[in-house]
Amino acid sequence: MRSKFSTLIPLVVALCAAVGCDKKDNTIKIGQAVALTGDNSTWGQSEKNALDMEIAKINAKGGVMGKQIQLISYDTRADATEGVNVTKRLVSDGVCAIIGPGQSGVAIAMTSVTEPANVCFLATSATNPKVTVDDKTGQVRHTAFRTCFIDPFQGTVAAQFAAKNLKLKNAAIIYDVGSDYSSWLGKYFTTEFIKQGGKVCASEAFRSGELDFRAILGKIKGSNPDVLYIPTMQKEAALIMKQAADLGIKAIPMGGDGWASPDLITLGGKAVDGSYFVNITSLEDPDIQGFIKDYRAKFNNDPVMPNPVMAIDALDVIIDAITKTGGTDPAKLTNQIAQTKGLQTLSGVFTIDPANHNPLNKPAIIQEVKDGKFVYVTKFVTQ
Amino acid sequence: MFVQTLLTGLAIGGIYALMAVGYSLVFSILNFSNFAYGSIIMLGAYISYFAMMKLGLPLGAALALSILGAAALCYLNERLAYSPLRKRHASSLFFMISAMGTAIFLENLVYAIVGAHFYAFPEVFTKRNLSFHGVSIGVLDVFAITFSFAAIYALHYFLQKSRTGIAIRAASYDIQVCSLNGVNDKHLIGLVFCLAGGLAGISGTFLGMKYIVYPTMGWITNKAYIAAVIGGLGSLPGAVVGGILLGVTETFVSAYVSSVVRDVFSFSLLVILLMVMPTGLFGRFLEEKV
Amino acid sequence: MWQYVSGVISLGLIYVIATVGLAVFTGFTGLFSLGHAAFFAIGAYTAAILTYFYGFNFYVALALGGCAGGLVGFLIGYPTLKAKLRTDYFAIATLGFGEAIRVLLENLPITQGARGLPGIRGETNLPVLLVCTTLVIWMAWNLIHSRHGRACIAIREDFVAAEMMGVNIFIGRLRSLVFSAFCAGLAGGLFAHYFCFIQPSMFTSYMSTQMTAAVVAGGMGSISGPVIATLIFIGIPEALRVANIWRLVAYGLMLVLIMVFRPQGLMGYQELSLGLVKSWYRRLWKGGRA
Repeated sequence: MRSKFSTLIPLVVALCAAVGCDKKDNTIKIGQAVALTGDNSTWGQSEKNALDMEIAKINAKGGVMGKQIQLISYDTRADATEGVNVTKRLVSDGVCAIIGPGQSGVAIAMTSVTEPANVCFLATSATNPKVTVDDKTGQVRHTAFRTCFIDPFQGTVAAQFAAKNLKLKNAAIIYDVGSDYSSWLGKYFTTEFIKQGGKVCASEAFRSGELDFRAILGKIKGSNPDVLYIPTMQKEAALIMKQAADLGIKAIPMGGDGWASPDLITLGGKAVDGSYFVNITSLEDPDIQGFIKDYRAKFNNDPVMPNPVMAIDALDVIIDAITKTGGTDPAKLTNQIAQTKGLQTLSGVFTIDPANHNPLNKPAIIQEVKDGKFVYVTKFVTQ
Repeated sequence: MFVQTLLTGLAIGGIYALMAVGYSLVFSILNFSNFAYGSIIMLGAYISYFAMMKLGLPLGAALALSILGAAALCYLNERLAYSPLRKRHASSLFFMISAMGTAIFLENLVYAIVGAHFYAFPEVFTKRNLSFHGVSIGVLDVFAITFSFAAIYALHYFLQKSRTGIAIRAASYDIQVCSLNGVNDKHLIGLVFCLAGGLAGISGTFLGMKYIVYPTMGWITNKAYIAAVIGGLGSLPGAVVGGILLGVTETFVSAYVSSVVRDVFSFSLLVILLMVMPTGLFGRFLEEKV
Repeated sequence: MWQYVSGVISLGLIYVIATVGLAVFTGFTGLFSLGHAAFFAIGAYTAAILTYFYGFNFYVALALGGCAGGLVGFLIGYPTLKAKLRTDYFAIATLGFGEAIRVLLENLPITQGARGLPGIRGETNLPVLLVCTTLVIWMAWNLIHSRHGRACIAIREDFVAAEMMGVNIFIGRLRSLVFSAFCAGLAGGLFAHYFCFIQPSMFTSYMSTQMTAAVVAGGMGSISGPVIATLIFIGIPEALRVANIWRLVAYGLMLVLIMVFRPQGLMGYQELSLGLVKSWYRRLWKGGRA
């Protein structure tokens, strides 16, 4: 009777306390919207690990301007609606900036919260150009930034590498019609490949979640391509390459940054050997060896590229903006970040292009899969 | 390309056939669609995967373990989620919700405990493909089809020749009269679920070997329902024919029209068949009669 | 802080609107739908396209979004209900239609395919939602307490008897479907103008599952039950930030447990009213029946 109510009251109080935010003024709160569960979790977990490690290092040295950094991470599950909830939560928690997300769909959805709230976010691996530039108005979004390259660039790099370095003439493309990343990356590749004098003999779509590509691969085999461009995530790419090998397709497979997980090799086995893909950064990148060593020592595993490095780049940019503005006001930080120029971050020299909030002149890396390992081929700059 | 597409279709059709038989078995006795069947298939795949990876068992032993495990899980599913409803003579809506709940529960339990990681079976066959005249067929597919048909034939033999088999066939006509004749219907239903679970274990393993193992792989059983309807509900040979037919036609649609509309095609086929020819090819008349 | 809480409440109300429609369909008419997210998506896209490309007034676009949902519900319902598909085949057919709608959304130029529509006007706010929710609940209430509603309940309980009593089953079911599709479409339009960005991949079976779970948990025969259940499902995980995978495990388990132990759900066949609250209070405080 009475006891039922007496248990209810503390519960309500506890709920309020859990929901309410604490107002400690001596920490710098940085938010992270990251996919900790779901299909993209290998990158998300690695990203969070890297940030935790880096922030612990900075805090041990005394933090930024005497204050300790506190990372508040919430799981977006790589889902756009969840991303919006997460962002609302972070804004009400009082973060000064947000690192992430890694998915373009989530990032675009988040702008509906960050724009009115004037809290900026730095996407780590969201490569769709629409994240930072509003498609309809052509205006740059005030609070949207990213530390990675964009898909038009990625597609161009792949096409130029295929045409110029590998001297391939005939391309077939398999893409995921339900993923804007995949469909548009395929389009960017096609435009550039044709510009380089190549021919796209087949372009086949499949639906998200598809596992059996043999029917469309059979169709592609008939048009005899010498390069098979697979702008999808690692799971589909591995299956496609395996099934293409089964059908005796001899084309060289190529892909984008969606391949960059060790899953590609565990799922694809021998079929993925000899394929190439474009990445934002890689384990062999000479600039980041120190970070890789620390990560391996702490987590007993290699970081899953490129998200951890992109996240630390973002952290560097935020800290730089905090020191330059002398505070953590999110609106001031947003303005300051847009003016970042020549900043030395983990992956290199970082400058934001104020016209589209993308990093300026970031090279791409080509990797080859050889004997079950990702091998660095070259750093590629487009012509 | 025609022959290649045909072979690809047969390969996937074999798997559909196996799933459709398991599904049809339960349907013929209880007149209800077991929506949780997909998650049993998925668990069968996980059991054999971990048997091969963690326990280092060869394929045969892993398959056996998977059959037993899936049969046990299917039986448990029936005991816990369906028999209380049957005792109360609950309406079919409640059965469906219970089945749906079980499917969601099992799928996400695997997500939560094992993780969303995709797993690929280790390569069992040294030669992956047989190629001739420009077409190739996977060794795994040949093995899977042979094994599946052997299992289905074994089931058929059991149903035709053994006493329990006759009891099951009688129950598929009218379970109440069957129990009036002295068959323990509780045990019978439990046995049928075990058999269906065994078939689920086999199809799960082959599905996992053909593609990859991950928590939502059970949704492919929607195709099993369609295959069972094509062949005619309640008919096991119908389920086999339906499965093969569905696999082949789907693959042809994928190859010659577009892979994107393949699922739309399959579901449209289902709806049209249900409207025009609800008994399918070999089935019995079982519309809701009013 | 208030911005965050009002965000959670807004999201909850959006789902409440869709769930009330589903409550009429599944709860009162007894039909199971696996693809209700499709109507949600249609409403969202229709309303969004009208305001995004053609600059329609927000309220007009919302109404048209709801009507689009209702229209598609009619188109889907007419052939499938006319064919008197059994409950489980109807459910699979709705799943198929859900898939077909997604394929359509991914491939039509006007929906911009997978890229979706970013930058939709953010016109949905709490007052609008409160008005819409009240409107929808009022409509559902009136529907249930009219002879149409009583016909639906009769169809759910025993459609053979209902037909014999002169109830036109086909019209009754179709009416429920169109109403629920309208509600889902309206909710979809509100959703699109709340998140300001929609993509086909946002309308998943998870959404359909959550709505069905809320209807079952809330009680199939009540409107206030599903409303409360939806608010709980949206509110508690936000407040406690429990890992989301376990949320789905809990949904699945809850569906099975409710079916087995308390099929009438939270509210059973009753509505939340002052008398009911008083009787609970008396039972709690004084113990025993009151």
